[in-house]
Amino acid sequence: MLMSCKQVFLYFSKLGLGIYLTLVFMTSQALADASVQVLITEPYIELYSGPAGGFPVIHVAAKNEWIRVLKRRTNWFKVETNKGVQGWVKQEALHLTQSSAGEAVKLADGSFASYAQRDVEFGALGGSFEGVPAMTVFADWVATENLVAGVSVTQALGDLSENQFFLVSVQHTTFPEWRLSPYVTLGAGKIRTKPRANLVESGDETRTSDLLAAGFGLRYYIAQNIMLKLEYQHLQALTDRDENEDLEQWKLGFAVFF
Amino acid sequence: MEIGIRSLFLALLCTALSFSLLAQEEAQQSVIEPSVERRDINEANIDSENFEFGLVVGVISIEDFSSSMVVGARVAYHVNEDFFVEATYGQAEAGETSFEVLSGGAAFLTEEERDYRYYNVSLGYNLNGETFFTDRWVFNSATYLTLGAGSTDFAGDERFTVVLGAGYRLLLTDYFALHINMKDHLFNSELIGEEKTTHNIEYGLGATFFF
Repeated sequence: MLMSCKQVFLYFSKLGLGIYLTLVFMTSQALADASVQVLITEPYIELYSGPAGGFPVIHVAAKNEWIRVLKRRTNWFKVETNKGVQGWVKQEALHLTQSSAGEAVKLADGSFASYAQRDVEFGALGGSFEGVPAMTVFADWVATENLVAGVSVTQALGDLSENQFFLVSVQHTTFPEWRLSPYVTLGAGKIRTKPRANLVESGDETRTSDLLAAGFGLRYYIAQNIMLKLEYQHLQALTDRDENEDLEQWKLGFAVFF
Repeated sequence: MEIGIRSLFLALLCTALSFSLLAQEEAQQSVIEPSVERRDINEANIDSENFEFGLVVGVISIEDFSSSMVVGARVAYHVNEDFFVEATYGQAEAGETSFEVLSGGAAFLTEEERDYRYYNVSLGYNLNGETFFTDRWVFNSATYLTLGAGSTDFAGDERFTVVLGAGYRLLLTDYFALHINMKDHLFNSELIGEEKTTHNIEYGLGATFFF
């Protein structure tokens, strides 16, 4: 019995070691696969201790040295020199290197030029919906340079009721190349209105209606990967009652893009 | 004798030749380029770690309803070295008001209404730096300020909430960080009679991963 326990223990420890080694092998393999090397072509580049300009420079890699690019955080790249020194270089410095194919390195950097080539943007807007504070989160897909398709969810919390609505919308801009660019938007969705808990006795109930929206806005590329948006929307809730409900919304916020 | 001298010269010649061959070999070696994997650099083959996800545990003081433990989750996207966008969710269970405790009965809220849940979206600004625990034990860190808005679901209603926050992030490795943060959730409430702006201060400890 004791023997078999020992054997079982041995078997498991071997199995564990095996799994561990496989994992180590796999991760090292994955790491090796992920390693990308670049050649410094300028006199030198500076390595910082962290991924921001405020961190101190801890090392200087010289011309004709190959450095391995390990990972990226925002516009900073963690690199390792041949001597094993690790540090962070900024994207402008990495653009002073050459790839293994002998070409100058150029990566998307969130600049206005790469803003034109963005595929996806998401963000949050705050503002006023029929005079009560409202918040919107949205995700957009940039289909062409003029057309954007997106979904948004808004919550407006008033003293008398809570409104929640979602919209599927299309945006069109005539001047995508302008930093400050106007756009128009059309959308459709659903709105849910729920009376406040302390007003439930008044007889109102939660109701859901179809919603149509039309609006216009301005978007402004402000800095690395960020843009500002200001939008006005006119909404129409198609209610079961005799009259449709006309609603207005103003919102201001930001978006980030990829 | 003559053979001896000849063999000596031969030996010298051999040594000289071999040296020159060796030197040649060395020269050739230094001309060889370092072995580099021929992988081209592009966005797809560099691991970018701009998202941060983690859990937060802390204490929230719900105005008029004593303090409770709060548990939450946090997702952040780092836009650039200075700014990040974060979304947080948290939940707690409100305690009793001093009136409820003193009167010994008369509950203001039902059990269900005491559930306190919030979510919000904030924009944050990093003050990057390093933390020196000793001269050689150094970690990257950041103090950050956040401003955001969201919603708080409490006492059967959702309320529009403005959130002001400040925190400290200590990066133990490139991808694992510990957080200490403090947030003030402001919303209007008329639960205790007249409407007023309530300050609900939360402080918490968190652990996050970058991916």
